[in-house]
Amino acid sequence: MLTAIVLSMLALAPIGLLARHLPRPLIGWVLALLPLAAFAGFAARAPLVLEGGVLIETLPWVPEMGLSVRFSLDGLSLLFALLVSGIGTLIFLYTAYYLADDPGMGRFYVYLAIFMGAMLGLVLADNVLLLFIFWELTSVSSYLLVGYKHDYPEARRGAQMGLLITVGGGLALLVGLVLLSNAAGSFEISEIIGAGEELRASPFYTPALLLIFLGCFTKSAQFPFHIWLPNAMQAPTPASAYLHSATMVKAGVYLLARLHPALNETPLWIYTLTAVGGTTMLIGAAIALRKDDIKGLLAYSTVSMLGAMVLMAGIGGHDAPLALVTLILAHALYKGALFMLAGAVDHEAGTRKLSELGGLGREMPRTLVLTSLAALSAAGIPPLFGFVAKEELLHATTHSNLAPGVEMLVVGVTVVAAVLGILYAWRLVSGIFFGPAAPRKKAHVHDAPIGMLVAPGVLTLLSVILPLGLLPMVSALFQPAVMAIAGEPGEVSLHLMPSALSLPVVLSVVAIGSGAALTRFVKQISAAPSPLPAWLNGDRIYDAAISGLLNGTTAFTRAVQNGRLRNYIRYSLLALLAVILTPLALFAPGNAPVPDLSNITLPEIVTALLVPLAILGTIRARSRLGAIIVTGVVGAMVSFMFVIYSGPDLALTQLLVEVISTVFFLLVFAVLPASFQRLSSAATRARDAVIALGIGATMAAFTWIAASSKLFPPISAVFKAEALAEGKGENVVNVILVDFRGFDTMGEITVLFIALLGTYAMLRLRPEADPTIAKMRGKTEPDAGFLGRRGRREMGIGSRDGHENGQDGAGAPAPVGQPGGSQEEG
Amino acid sequence: MTFILSLVVGTLFAGAAYLMLRRSLVKLILGLVLLSHGTNLLLFLMGDGVVKGMPPFVDEATGVTPTVAADPLNQALILTAIVINFGFTAFILSLAYRTNQAVNSDDLDDMVETDRL
Repeated sequence: MLTAIVLSMLALAPIGLLARHLPRPLIGWVLALLPLAAFAGFAARAPLVLEGGVLIETLPWVPEMGLSVRFSLDGLSLLFALLVSGIGTLIFLYTAYYLADDPGMGRFYVYLAIFMGAMLGLVLADNVLLLFIFWELTSVSSYLLVGYKHDYPEARRGAQMGLLITVGGGLALLVGLVLLSNAAGSFEISEIIGAGEELRASPFYTPALLLIFLGCFTKSAQFPFHIWLPNAMQAPTPASAYLHSATMVKAGVYLLARLHPALNETPLWIYTLTAVGGTTMLIGAAIALRKDDIKGLLAYSTVSMLGAMVLMAGIGGHDAPLALVTLILAHALYKGALFMLAGAVDHEAGTRKLSELGGLGREMPRTLVLTSLAALSAAGIPPLFGFVAKEELLHATTHSNLAPGVEMLVVGVTVVAAVLGILYAWRLVSGIFFGPAAPRKKAHVHDAPIGMLVAPGVLTLLSVILPLGLLPMVSALFQPAVMAIAGEPGEVSLHLMPSALSLPVVLSVVAIGSGAALTRFVKQISAAPSPLPAWLNGDRIYDAAISGLLNGTTAFTRAVQNGRLRNYIRYSLLALLAVILTPLALFAPGNAPVPDLSNITLPEIVTALLVPLAILGTIRARSRLGAIIVTGVVGAMVSFMFVIYSGPDLALTQLLVEVISTVFFLLVFAVLPASFQRLSSAATRARDAVIALGIGATMAAFTWIAASSKLFPPISAVFKAEALAEGKGENVVNVILVDFRGFDTMGEITVLFIALLGTYAMLRLRPEADPTIAKMRGKTEPDAGFLGRRGRREMGIGSRDGHENGQDGAGAPAPVGQPGGSQEEG
Repeated sequence: MTFILSLVVGTLFAGAAYLMLRRSLVKLILGLVLLSHGTNLLLFLMGDGVVKGMPPFVDEATGVTPTVAADPLNQALILTAIVINFGFTAFILSLAYRTNQAVNSDDLDDMVETDRL
């Protein structure tokens, strides 16, 4: 059932394209049936889970890799699944009204459905690799959603930033999850959770945890990775509302909550999450207060609340898991509503800037009521559900597992963030609906259509009625989720009104009181100059990093790929050196065989000594003829070695080839200048000599060690035994060539024939001798080459104008510029 | 014997590496020739040991090949390699010939375009 739901959401995504042709906004009601069906499916399984059961489905996928399609539905997954599909239903509905005039609405629905399917898969997956796949799928689908208006550069930038940060974090997460699975001995999340104590003692614990943190912090927009979330505001509002309330950014929080029972209670877990979550909560709230764009304000308030959730995952204590789930639900309800309402205001008034809005309360009364209620919930004012969440938050911070001093700090930060929350909520409502009316962007502003307000209305209604009488039901829903996070059973009962006067209640009263008192000064506070220096801006740092990366790789490519063959050869040689030297250095000391120098005759020594002498001669030769002759000596010595070491056929062939090659060399070099020029500097030659000696020493050592070790019996015994019987020949080498490995010889002949054809073509086909080609050349002369003569000169590519035919020796090379060439080379 | 041959292989590779890093086209070609010698010898050493005076022939008296005779398989492979190297050398020499006709230089840095060849 779970598998069917997740896969059908993904498979049925293309039906979103129906929105192209069917009448709008009616189509929204039809398409919303898709998430609604998923919601109904989960709701139907809810009783089982609420009684403490867990629904598990397994399909083997790649069993060799430990990869299975394994979904499980426990309390935590159920809560998220209901949120994802429930809010998804409302978002589908809202989209039809919001994008009613947009021709691309069908495409948008497709992305939305994929996004929802990915998120459902993520929260239901019980295999870390499967979870990772859905994790990345949410990143990719949110990239498509954020970049939906791809005609705008800001939308493309926002989409790219979100993708780079979340996918980058996702890669860290993958490594972390694999380390964790190795330590636990299983890829299944339920088994990883069961192996908690073993994991905390494992040496992989710290690296795995840090990598998983990196994945969760980037996904859940924790400081300093939060910058992508405000930029993701480029998405159409329905996508923003979904992204912020129930999906994407909640994925990191979900994973922390999911792994909480296995990994918590260590100082690393507690203090990393407390520090990051607390910082994010405070900074997010402070920036939210200063934002002019209402979607920007809401985005930073999301950052702040995500910080609070990470804080709750970290601080430990009996009450933190309950506070975490309460925050998740409360935030999903009010933030989803606020985003959709902000979209309605944008849609009707034509702007999202607080400085261009104001006094809309008269024209948009319905929107005013809903926004006020949702904002009150966001501010944590009783009797709304946000108040219950804030109570739980304060309660958990005062009953944590932190050291007393740290706990005081966290309590203080939480109260300040709560006061800031009240202020930005007030600023949002008063800035849009009250005060003097700013000049209108549109002539006639009227209230949003009812259909557009249905979705935010439902969410706001829930924020209102849940605390007023439905808290026992909510507690029952939270019970298994809290159990999944805490790892142990416990009683959950939420109350709207505190039964006794305790520290959290006092703090709550203080926060609400000071927040209310400060609302009079909200304009001054939000307009105060930023205390941070201008360069300390995440967006700027990101842009600088991206352009630095592009410039760096361009410069690197120019330096490495500079068109000079010898540079490529040098890199290849150095790479070869590294590849061979590493195992040699690890293996050779102590294992190298001792050379046996007995049984060596004078001819061997003379032959071996002549090779380096001849090579030196080749290198030092000033005349070409001399170079060719001493190279011939090397070939002759190699033939002689074949004679000594029982390879008569080799010696014969080598000698013949050597003679013909030398003749050929002499023929070709007759046309070249007689002596070598000295082309490279002494420093270059010295450096190349060092590389060459390194290669020589390495190859000698490698050859010696490889030739002295016998790991496998040679297969040539078969050839020796069967040569006469099967091949009817007495020379085993010849029998191998013409019989046992005859096809090799066939290939060899083919290669030789192709080389012959190439050589013939090279020597005989001269374009200037062919009248047709010469005529063609003449015609194309005005724009010689694809760039044209001028273009080539501008690009610094040398051209030899007027020397079509260099055969007469007059075609002296023009001064040459190298494309991208940078260094003087030898 | 293996030890001396290993040193020779190292020398050939060192000379080949140095020559291939030169700016002169001719030296590059000579480097490739040395590289093929080095590779052939390397292959020669990778067989079933190196022996003196025992080529892999069938003994006429007994009708079998002595097991202590040289390894025939890598000799067959080297033979193929020598011939292919010859074809390759011939091709690259004719290429150098034509290049010299067009560019009239031995300096690889003068060879920056292919349009006129």
